[in-house]
Amino acid sequence: MKIPKKIWIPICVVGLAASVPLLTKSEYFVNLLVMLFVYVTLSQSWNLQGGFNGQISLGHSAFFGMGALITRLLWMSKIPILLAIIGGGLSSIILAGIVGIPCLRMKRGYFPIGTLGLAIIAQITVGNILPVPGSLPSEYIVGYSLSSRYYLALSVAIMGVLVVYAVVRSRTGLALVAIRDDEEAAEAVGIKTFRYKIEALLISSFLAGLGGGVFAYHQVSYYYQSPFELSWSFLPTLTTFIGGLGTILGPILGSVCFLALNELFAFTLGEIHLVIFGFTFIMIVLFLPGGLMSISNKFQSPLSMKMGWGKRMRSIF
Amino acid sequence: MGQTLVFGILNGALYGMIALGIALVFGIMKYLNVAHGSLIVVGAYGSLFLFRLGVDPFATIPIILVALFLGGAVLFLSLFNRLIEFPEATKIKNSLLIGFGLMLVLDNLATFLWTGDERSITPSYSGITFQIFGLRLPLIGLSGGFLALLLISVLHLFLSRTYFGKAVRAVSQDHEAASLTGINVGRTFLISFAISVGLAGIPSVLIGLQSFSPTAGIQWFNKGIIVVMLSGIGNIYGVFPAGLFLGIIEALSVFLFGATYREVTGLVVFVLILILFPRGMLGSGAES
Amino acid sequence: MLKIESLNVKYGDIQTLWDVSLEVNAGEIVALIGSNGAGKSTLLRTIAGLLRPHSGRMHYNGVLLNNKSPNRIVELGISMVLEGRRLFPKMTVLENLEVGAYLKEARVHRYSTLDWIWEVFPVLKERSQQIAGSLSGGEQQMVAIGRALMARNKFLILDEMSLGLSPLLVKTIFKIVTQINKAGLSIFNVEQNVPMTLRTAHRAYILESGHIVGHGEARSLLKSPHVKEAYLGLS
Repeated sequence: MKIPKKIWIPICVVGLAASVPLLTKSEYFVNLLVMLFVYVTLSQSWNLQGGFNGQISLGHSAFFGMGALITRLLWMSKIPILLAIIGGGLSSIILAGIVGIPCLRMKRGYFPIGTLGLAIIAQITVGNILPVPGSLPSEYIVGYSLSSRYYLALSVAIMGVLVVYAVVRSRTGLALVAIRDDEEAAEAVGIKTFRYKIEALLISSFLAGLGGGVFAYHQVSYYYQSPFELSWSFLPTLTTFIGGLGTILGPILGSVCFLALNELFAFTLGEIHLVIFGFTFIMIVLFLPGGLMSISNKFQSPLSMKMGWGKRMRSIF
Repeated sequence: MGQTLVFGILNGALYGMIALGIALVFGIMKYLNVAHGSLIVVGAYGSLFLFRLGVDPFATIPIILVALFLGGAVLFLSLFNRLIEFPEATKIKNSLLIGFGLMLVLDNLATFLWTGDERSITPSYSGITFQIFGLRLPLIGLSGGFLALLLISVLHLFLSRTYFGKAVRAVSQDHEAASLTGINVGRTFLISFAISVGLAGIPSVLIGLQSFSPTAGIQWFNKGIIVVMLSGIGNIYGVFPAGLFLGIIEALSVFLFGATYREVTGLVVFVLILILFPRGMLGSGAES
Repeated sequence: MLKIESLNVKYGDIQTLWDVSLEVNAGEIVALIGSNGAGKSTLLRTIAGLLRPHSGRMHYNGVLLNNKSPNRIVELGISMVLEGRRLFPKMTVLENLEVGAYLKEARVHRYSTLDWIWEVFPVLKERSQQIAGSLSGGEQQMVAIGRALMARNKFLILDEMSLGLSPLLVKTIFKIVTQINKAGLSIFNVEQNVPMTLRTAHRAYILESGHIVGHGEARSLLKSPHVKEAYLGLS
């Protein structure tokens, strides 16, 4: 029986990933991959809402941070880590329900701004109330096993991808994409757009919260406000952009690229690596607005309107 | 209590000025420039530099104004110009992303060039205060408030009396129709953007006189966007009252609950207001 | 004055205008009729510079219009009133008109132009300080036309003037169109209201599904069986 490529390639990749801790002693590398899996989870979660449903959320740092925060607190209260992470995910859903839904009600196109505001508020609030680092007590550090964290991160990432894949392939997914492509038409056909947008928001925030939980589990000591930082909101957007909005592979590819670029720059450029990184970020947004895959047709103005840069300059002066 | 109110008002004026730049750019061309705060910080460094050369801080204002204007023009031409033709939702999204990248560049460049240390401009008259009705009014703060008033008046006159001001308003209300009256929309966007960044020269220097560090930009942006949302997106004239409102709320919370929860109280009030008045307190899109 | 040759326009991948050619000479009122979706607005937007043609040429008094920006085209002498009026809703009537005279030449002479506008649209004079968004449909239409006239151009394009107006107002508007034409402007009038349009115009073109399917003297088109059946509901 021939196994389709779609099945055995991912299995091989996962198998490969699973064997990494057994093949290498480099903690640096394993830690790097854990972060990669966190990025993938977060990005894929964002992709469900942003890529497949067309609702660009800039508030995912709030969900990510919330998941991290609650997970950490639960875990420190002796609750087993798996439950703690799920608790983190649930707390993100609750947060999304309370503040995300009003954002969905905003005027067309303002959802990103509303969620951005949410992220800023979350960051400031946590920074104000808990400006301290949360460190693992010594008994936790003694028992710290990097490989268990690695496998947990990997599992959560796989789960995230599978969940999004399942949703996208379901009737819900059809509705989401229809809403993305033409919300009015979808309404006209009888699709309850608001309900589906909420679904996407809640599932997305849950996954983001799980990602945050993994992050909290992995970090030995970090500032509680750190996962709430805005960069965690822009990151999934960027990775999905690069990789391709609205594709399952997109966030994965994008996360790999992002991580690789980041590490490369950090190594070779030292202090100004973030400057170069920001510059690259800008270039990507400017020149690859559609990402590597071309889902961007919806966002492009009619071809007859495109002006070359030179022409545009001349018309101004 | 009156004292805290005074500080609240002066702070509020500062918030209003920061928010003005953000609101103008958004109202006219639907870009949300996340790097606005970082640009202000850059201006503060510029002012510090000139101060070290012997220039009085308030005298640096015109220079920083012009420098930021030119810088804004360059930024617009190189970065934001491309977004003009896209539909509104994409414009907002892409401008946010570009702004974020720009912020990364500016913040980290500043850290690299000038270290992460906190700085401040301290002219000889820093500590001077006036005593009126038992209230201490700092000279610098007062000057800031005065400049804020000056700014709004000039802006109002510009928008309502000059032809270019009318063009700016026309473009912000319907840029297609505006282009059909002979207005060069691209140029209008360019100049409006440059002006918005240039105007940030005033809060720039004022912040320089307080204290600043290379990564402080986002905090000022946060204040700015909250004020913008409080006043109602698209409402330019509501920005100042909204700024004052935020400043006063913060001051009151310090008075009532102590300094620790200053920011949080402001935010709670903000969220409440947003829930009650989804369009902002002062109505949406009043004449811009 | 206006000469269009073999214009092809695409919207994304979809072609909306096929090989369109037409002319408007000085002093004429030329009408373009066609049903919804025929491509009339696309054509006008292309002339105005809001859309780029795929191929074909447009000239105004010998000057090539292709690929020029809208404000440049206004400078060259063509003014256009967009479909749906498109006033600046938060500005007053007077301000809307003033913006219409943005171009240097127009701005210098704006006061005398305004006098003429008040003559043509006496209703507006009373409402000059009123916010444009608060006017009635007919009044808004007048402001829109007035604004276009403020540019003092010799060529005026009108996109669906009569849309949404009561029959009485429609009559008024068409009378104004004739009045403006007598004052020396050439007019390219695009309309769905066929009878009135063909009665006021000198010549007309018929646009169907992006193709010019007929043209000639407006009076004779009124009598043509095709027009009668397709656009006048008579057979």
